Amino acid sequence: MFGRLDFSAVFAGPFAHLLLSGVIKTCELTAASWMLAVGLGVMLAVLRASGIPVATKVVAAFVAYHQNVPMLVQILLWYFGVPTLLPDAAQSWVNAHDGELIFASIAIGLCMSAYFSEDLRSGLRSVHYGQQEAARSLGLGFFATLRYVTLPQAIRNALPPFVNHTVLLFKNTSLAMTIGAAEMTYVVREIENETFKTFEAYAVATLFYLAVSLGLMGLGALAGKRIQNQAR
Amino acid sequence: MIRFSKVSKWYGDYQALTDVTAEVKAGEVVVICGPSGSGKSTLIRTVNRLEEIKSGAIYVNGQDIHAPGLKINDFRSGIGFVFQSFNLFPHLSVTENVCLAPVRVSGRSKGEARDHAMALLERVGLAHKANAYPAQLSGGQQQRVAIARALAMNPPVMLFDEPTSALDPEMVGEVLSVMKSLARDGMTMVCVTHEMGFAREVSDRIWFMDRGVILEENSPNEFFTAPQHARSKAFLSDLRSH
Amino acid sequence: MLGIIQDNWLLLLVGQYPKGPLGGLALTLILSVMGLVLSFPISIGIALCRTSPIRMLYVGSTVLVYIVRGIPLVMFVFWGYFLVPILVGHSVTAFTTLICTLIVYEAAYLSEVVRAGIQALPKGQVEASRALGLGYWKTNLWVIMPQALYNMVPSLISQFVSIIKETSIGYVISVQELTFAANQINSNLLTRPFPVFLILAITYFAVCFVLTQCAQHLERTITRKRSPKMAHPRSMSNDSVLEGQ
Repeated sequence: MFGRLDFSAVFAGPFAHLLLSGVIKTCELTAASWMLAVGLGVMLAVLRASGIPVATKVVAAFVAYHQNVPMLVQILLWYFGVPTLLPDAAQSWVNAHDGELIFASIAIGLCMSAYFSEDLRSGLRSVHYGQQEAARSLGLGFFATLRYVTLPQAIRNALPPFVNHTVLLFKNTSLAMTIGAAEMTYVVREIENETFKTFEAYAVATLFYLAVSLGLMGLGALAGKRIQNQAR
Repeated sequence: MIRFSKVSKWYGDYQALTDVTAEVKAGEVVVICGPSGSGKSTLIRTVNRLEEIKSGAIYVNGQDIHAPGLKINDFRSGIGFVFQSFNLFPHLSVTENVCLAPVRVSGRSKGEARDHAMALLERVGLAHKANAYPAQLSGGQQQRVAIARALAMNPPVMLFDEPTSALDPEMVGEVLSVMKSLARDGMTMVCVTHEMGFAREVSDRIWFMDRGVILEENSPNEFFTAPQHARSKAFLSDLRSH
Repeated sequence: MLGIIQDNWLLLLVGQYPKGPLGGLALTLILSVMGLVLSFPISIGIALCRTSPIRMLYVGSTVLVYIVRGIPLVMFVFWGYFLVPILVGHSVTAFTTLICTLIVYEAAYLSEVVRAGIQALPKGQVEASRALGLGYWKTNLWVIMPQALYNMVPSLISQFVSIIKETSIGYVISVQELTFAANQINSNLLTRPFPVFLILAITYFAVCFVLTQCAQHLERTITRKRSPKMAHPRSMSNDSVLEGQ
């Protein structure tokens, strides 16, 4: 059905370098989006937990928007739509400085920050109220209670969905190919166009994604086990 | 030591406490008993302001605990509170549980706090579990650690909110014996409990509460042998018929 | 922005129909419903394999699910584009490719929802059923599945929302669904990309948000009807874990 598989064609000549650049681009996208998502996600969760009515509603709206609009559409909106709102100087700067990376990272980062903030929020809710009462009864203030009692437990409980969403974030970097970002999927398509070795090219990308995804899930499971050993 | 003056509390339309006026003297052991829903837990929780009152006043060591300038955290660290559901911190070891407040609230050094913690754990009979985690302890052991944790701040008064109600019967004794030894050492204690044997043996006064009011206040002997109120009589006979 | 909606709402809603094939939001919804309905039986099968005592079935289904969970949807679609014509023997439309890909992808993710629903039931249910003499299949058919399926309806709606979002990937292989239609409008207008894509986003938001609210309302109703034991925050966290996109 496939004839003889020829993986060397995929790695031959300039393609090896191309593959490497694809891997690097994927890693850059993942790192940039992940840092944005975690930073913003924590801020959103804190804002929501603060109880200020305006803040809570704004965060809820932000989360609702980003969880109900497909990430592909968010990337398209950011890459095609937002630059037209920027002044010309900014537009040219962005175009000269890898606009695909910037906008894809922003789109993916913002979208996943909504998921991360919800993970943290459910983690906070899972800590029994009695823990706070005990801490306050001992005389710990609001921030001390948060820091030494509530947050450590909330983070432990939020770890499984957090790891899952991190893997999701990594996989979603592949969507950036639709705006021309030269990450792994895009690169592999190019190689396939040149060599016609569709199966081999796709297999390389698939193995890459699988390896990293399963690796991340494995790390998450390890971290979870270590926490299990310590506490309930 | 603790003085309630016409304390009232409502949950919406429901009045949980009605004009409660009573006093706990220094060194006294007071047991609060009564049917469920009588307001016993609510009353004891108003002392360290886990519940807020709507009217009246509460004085601890002569100080009005609702005074505007009061530093709530310092105030709370001066009162030891033991919960029905222990509420130990599951992510910290036994020693860390006991040391947390002395280090983070009183600012004591870790070494000092640890030595003090070990002494307290000895006192409750759990020095050998110093490095264990709450999930590895039985209910009775967890509650004893909770008592040590509350004692770590050297409070002049200890409050117990049904400390043995969540325990299996065979573990009740070990917790009560710790509480008895505290009483013998002269600690001011207020205990909400159903353990009438403990009340009889150790308490100086018994407050019987029903529907948000202290119906009867008496020495244990008199309360158990000659209850004055119809409802306290009914309560005691219900207890005895088990 | 209203001008754009006025001029193009038909294109967004039904694509080129009746002058061409059905497209737009209508096609998105058709794709989503077909995806859910066709993958559901397969997902039940996979879930039963995942909870099966037969080791080979358990290992095989677990490997399958983990592989699907580890690959991005885009990659999956390209694989489908490549493999489906080979497997079928002749060339197929992009629509067919997308449907086949979605079915396999969703079957794996849905199987996790079904598995969670099965495992959330108290063990006593199986024990009581077996004690009465019902075998494995009868137990599943008359005792386990009815309860599990009732409990997982909110999760199913959540997963349906995920499918709707995932159909947007059809844009990449020129399936004429909603995102593709919006892109067409953008190519026509050229100078108004922001309003066009904002309308696209709002359309998805409107549909998905309403469905999500339904799911949450149903979740509350179901946990109220069932015993308090079923009121587990776990079932809600499953939805966020299993979001496809």
